[in-house]
Amino acid sequence: MAAGKAPSEALEPTSGSATAGKRPNPRLDQYRRTFYFLRRNRLAMFGLIVVLFWVGVALYSPFYSAPSSHLEAYCSSTATEGTNSSCTQTICTYEPGTVPTGTPPCYSVPFEEPSVLPPTISLHPLSLGPMPLGSLTLDPSLGIMYNIMAGLIKGAPWSIGIAAAIVGTGALLGLLLGSLAGYRGGYTDETIMRFTDIFLAIPGLFLVLITLAAVGIYFTTLEARVGILIVTFVVTWWPIYTRIVRGQVLVTREQKYVEAARASGAGAGRILRKHIIPNSLYPVFVQLSLDIGTIPLLLGAIIFLGYQIWPSGVYFPEWGTIAADAVTNLQPFLLQCSLASSYTPCVFPWWQIFFPGVTLFLFCISVNFLSDGLRDALDPRLRR
Amino acid sequence: MWVYIVRRLLLVVPVIIGVMTITFILVSLIPTTTRVAAYTTARDAKPGTPEWNHAIAALGLNKPVPVQWGIYILNSLTLHWGYTSPHSYATQTGKLGATAWPVATVLGWYLPYTLELAALSLLIILAIAIPLGNLSAVYRNRPLDQGTRVLSFSGYAFPTFLLAAVVLLAAVVLSGGFTPDCNGLSYHYLDWYYSWPPPACLPGSPTTLPSWIGPHENTSPTGFPTIDALIHWNTPSGLYLAWQSVQRMILPALVIAYTYTASILRFVRNSMLEVMNLDFVRTARAKGLPERVVVNRHAGRNSLNVTITILGLTFAFFITGFPIIEDVFQLRGIGYLFAIAIQPVEDFGLIFGSTLLLTIIVVAANIIVDVLYAYLDPRVRLG
Repeated sequence: MAAGKAPSEALEPTSGSATAGKRPNPRLDQYRRTFYFLRRNRLAMFGLIVVLFWVGVALYSPFYSAPSSHLEAYCSSTATEGTNSSCTQTICTYEPGTVPTGTPPCYSVPFEEPSVLPPTISLHPLSLGPMPLGSLTLDPSLGIMYNIMAGLIKGAPWSIGIAAAIVGTGALLGLLLGSLAGYRGGYTDETIMRFTDIFLAIPGLFLVLITLAAVGIYFTTLEARVGILIVTFVVTWWPIYTRIVRGQVLVTREQKYVEAARASGAGAGRILRKHIIPNSLYPVFVQLSLDIGTIPLLLGAIIFLGYQIWPSGVYFPEWGTIAADAVTNLQPFLLQCSLASSYTPCVFPWWQIFFPGVTLFLFCISVNFLSDGLRDALDPRLRR
Repeated sequence: MWVYIVRRLLLVVPVIIGVMTITFILVSLIPTTTRVAAYTTARDAKPGTPEWNHAIAALGLNKPVPVQWGIYILNSLTLHWGYTSPHSYATQTGKLGATAWPVATVLGWYLPYTLELAALSLLIILAIAIPLGNLSAVYRNRPLDQGTRVLSFSGYAFPTFLLAAVVLLAAVVLSGGFTPDCNGLSYHYLDWYYSWPPPACLPGSPTTLPSWIGPHENTSPTGFPTIDALIHWNTPSGLYLAWQSVQRMILPALVIAYTYTASILRFVRNSMLEVMNLDFVRTARAKGLPERVVVNRHAGRNSLNVTITILGLTFAFFITGFPIIEDVFQLRGIGYLFAIAIQPVEDFGLIFGSTLLLTIIVVAANIIVDVLYAYLDPRVRLG
């Protein structure tokens, strides 16, 4: 159908028609055309905006610090007024790699509420308050609360970074092996594809968890744990990309322009580099953007199941981890609320699951919308 | 046809051996002290002590690696998947007692629960995805299509554990919540879940009956709770128990369906779109057949062929959600077993055993689906 036809780009509307005199870079022109199609897709644009927002948050997070000064000022002010509700609780901000000790990054909080802080906007008149998104109590025995907003902001670069590292490495491996298998064919193809078969047969989450369970014990520091997590996910993810790339390469290598390149004396390396890989990239791109959204969810699932990825005592700011911890923490509140009476009021901490959940959900769904839009914009057959 | 089936089965052999090799490599990576400590009698054994040497010999760690590999493969193929560790968290939570059970036996107790849940959720997924996917293709890019897409994407993007917990919470609240009573807390809704009998009264022998069958019925012929209850339909509580066990699975199955319908729906929609562009559909329209007939009889049936192939894929896909769902809803299936086996004192036998079992199930599902597809579409088996 469309396979025999040469890509008839000239027939499609281009936004770069103003540059009539000078011939612009054709690649650039193609990006512009893709973006033109992407812009017409409302869901994709919504996805793009949300993703860009989270990337912005991730870039901003190193400069973010929880409003400790406000807290301390408020603490001292209430203390001088004579109310004996001085600062008893402790709020910690999520800081990667530190065990909370009561010193910064932990701060005392003036609040009578026994174990939770709802979203506050009024604790200090000058600011949003110490915890605009409420608190998360991770260890009730220590009386330490965590600042959800700080966690989500500090977690943005970690979540997005881990996902990008996994997906990027997996896609790179898949691109190399897949194009090799698809282009060389024969025994190379058979060997590589049988390996992907084996890896694809094991259900994904199980492969990640058995690998972590087997080798996790050798890695104790937080950095090493992040590293081994990325490696295990790459081990699980590469066959998917390999398979996609191979399928695409098998189609691409039969095209007329590849034949023309071969006829004009191009070597295998040049054909792969200049013709086949650029033209089989788009399904990888789509799958890649889809997976970036899934990985924080899977991380959350692993934590929720109770596998200890992060060293104990370290409350690592990662979206999935925060959400999983919040859900795990609901149990005591359920008991408390079931026994609630007039003098022991029940505070059900809806914000603990709501905000991390919304973060994960929005990130994943917007990435999905974006990848769906990209698929439509990048595949010439779907442009209508 | 038979030639096709045999060829398909032969293709599976290297995959199974490969999967076992991967698990073998992973098992070998576990530190020897951990493996010895998990062994029945050698919890605190030091190297050089008789217990240590005995454990090493029993685990085959004193043999060369290739021999170990061969033994491992042979044992795996003959269902000798090692023993549960009596010191692990799983043996205590799963009420396995301080004995080392053969892993395959324990998995056999838990598997029927997973299979029943899987069957129910697969049914729900197909009942939603096929009609909705077809409609979505027919009304392409119209509000119905967009709405379906957003809905199914939202299921995909929702963290499963959070969704499951919220659903369970809502069920608890709606069914009256918690009430204190003389024995402490009892929850109306969760009574369903937490009183669910552990498979076959685990600490006893594998032939002991589920307590719910009743004193006069001394058999649990299949191990599947619903089917067993149905077999005993003429006992006083038979039908009630069957209905109750379906009730227990409904919420988890709905959560699974909501999460995994998205991908299936997309497949159905795409295959339907492809079929709708084929010549015979145009011919049908040209003949003047009503649109309903064209969509249901001509296009719908042909796109169903493709849908069958993704059945196997679906299964592989949503089996990964089972540990979470079964953990939240306390359904005693393989996923639950896996979830308790990875807790801090890990039970490596159960971890690797359940992975191996699920892998084999997924592979088998794929074979069945392929054969079914070949049966339905002659181009596949002859081409």
